Amino acid sequence: MTALAVRAPAAPPKPRRLAVKVASWTVAAVVLGAFAGLDIDWEELRELPGDLVHYGTLMFSDPDWSMLPEALLQTWRSVSMAWLGALLGVVLSTLLGIPAAEGVGPLWLRLPLRGLFAVIRAVPEVVIAIIILTVTGLTPFTGALALAIGGIGTHAKWTYETIESAPGGVVEAVRASGGGLSETVRWGLWPVVSPELASLALYRFEINVRTSAILGLIGVGGIGDMLTTYTQHRQWDTVGVLIIVVIVVTMSIDAISGAIRRRIMEGAKARGVERSS
Amino acid sequence: MNDLTTRPEAEGDMPSASGPWPVELDDVTVRYPNGVVALKNVSLTVGAGEMVAVVGLSGSGKSTMIRTINGLVAPTSGSVRVGPHAVSELRGRALRHARGDIGMIFQGFNLADRASVFHNALVGRFSHMPTWRTTLGLATEADRAMVMRSLDSVGMLEKVWHRAGALSGGQKQRVAIARALSQEPAVMLADEPVASLDPPTAHSVMADLAAINASRGLTVLVNLHLMDLARQYTTRMIGLRAGEVVYDGPAASATDADFEAIYGRPVQARDRLGE
Repeated sequence: MTALAVRAPAAPPKPRRLAVKVASWTVAAVVLGAFAGLDIDWEELRELPGDLVHYGTLMFSDPDWSMLPEALLQTWRSVSMAWLGALLGVVLSTLLGIPAAEGVGPLWLRLPLRGLFAVIRAVPEVVIAIIILTVTGLTPFTGALALAIGGIGTHAKWTYETIESAPGGVVEAVRASGGGLSETVRWGLWPVVSPELASLALYRFEINVRTSAILGLIGVGGIGDMLTTYTQHRQWDTVGVLIIVVIVVTMSIDAISGAIRRRIMEGAKARGVERSS
Repeated sequence: MNDLTTRPEAEGDMPSASGPWPVELDDVTVRYPNGVVALKNVSLTVGAGEMVAVVGLSGSGKSTMIRTINGLVAPTSGSVRVGPHAVSELRGRALRHARGDIGMIFQGFNLADRASVFHNALVGRFSHMPTWRTTLGLATEADRAMVMRSLDSVGMLEKVWHRAGALSGGQKQRVAIARALSQEPAVMLADEPVASLDPPTAHSVMADLAAINASRGLTVLVNLHLMDLARQYTTRMIGLRAGEVVYDGPAASATDADFEAIYGRPVQARDRLGE
């Protein structure tokens, strides 16, 4: 009797989940392989916390505040570079991204455009800047152009993805009243997607502010340039000031731009009832 | 709620430019690329100036049918004719021109929320405007006057510079009607125009459509799924079920049994809007 009572009921067989197991082992192997490939010296790693404290003290115990005006000027250059790059990049991305969207451009136009964006995405901004500076020289304008062209890769992709995911009701209404392609894009698509595109444009500016510091490494000017120079000369009290300025400016711009983006998007929330038949 | 108080009176001073037109569907079948047959051998004629309800459950093909009439959906076989236009034969510019003579309103209003009421209604003039004007949103004095008169006729003139997104559902549908009227259409199509509205607003929008039919003599086809709206506001009813016409007769005298044949099930409480 008792033996019968405890016997488990006939449950369906447990699934074997072979795919999950294979995936887990693959991920584990990749992670372990990555560690091996990095050539890590564990002895040196133990010294890292001490080094951090050492250089932190050098940089921040007694920052050389006399460098502040120069640092702010160079930061202003970096921000200008980022802003001009975002402006140019967003305009180009919008012009190229709209015809790359499904339902707007024909296939023979969409494919090459998307290919172009993918190629640009694969090339880092620094490399683009190095190519451009053979023409325009080591100026902040080179940096702005590099940011603009480099930005097209991702920003044009965001543009056509935004258009493709936009609700199509207004487009249908414009077509139904006899509008052609240009009317459909201008009055069916643009009013619907422009808030999101504006938000993405600001986000592009935020990204460019950070990228412009990296572009300084190759000497196109701005705060990144100054940072590289003073690091190479091991003037840690000045580097400390520069890092503080970069962090404060970047965080402020992110906060302000983020607040504007939220305002744009919340204003865009549909208040009507949207149901499909 | 103030939608109710601003309901406009019918205006008889704006006859459509081309007069009302008949609509003819001859053996129309629509098969979508995914294999779904939305319409099966539908043949029917709607006379000029008639007010017709197309009734059916969702998925019955009534949305597809109304979209074949203005060429948003091309029939797989058969032909569609609206007045002088052989819609199912037309492509490109000629098709857009034909669409310009056919107004349409939608369940979801399909207004650009970010644009002004004026620019939304101006869309109705696009088939009469050159591209550079539509791109800039610049209307001639005549286009502007037409838009203002259309907005006035649905009681939305005072909202002309408001953003469409700031309006209530009933107001949005009125702007959508004004957009269609700005086309000076000969035929008006409506795809479930009141399904997103509360009952009092739904009644007033249906009354607007009936007034447009009566005063301008426009041919009106309206998709509905509610039996009392069909009976109250339209004269003729076409019942669709699984893509086939299963009823075609007067709307007012259609019995519950007729509706059960259209729905393919007993009549339920939700098949009526009520007050």
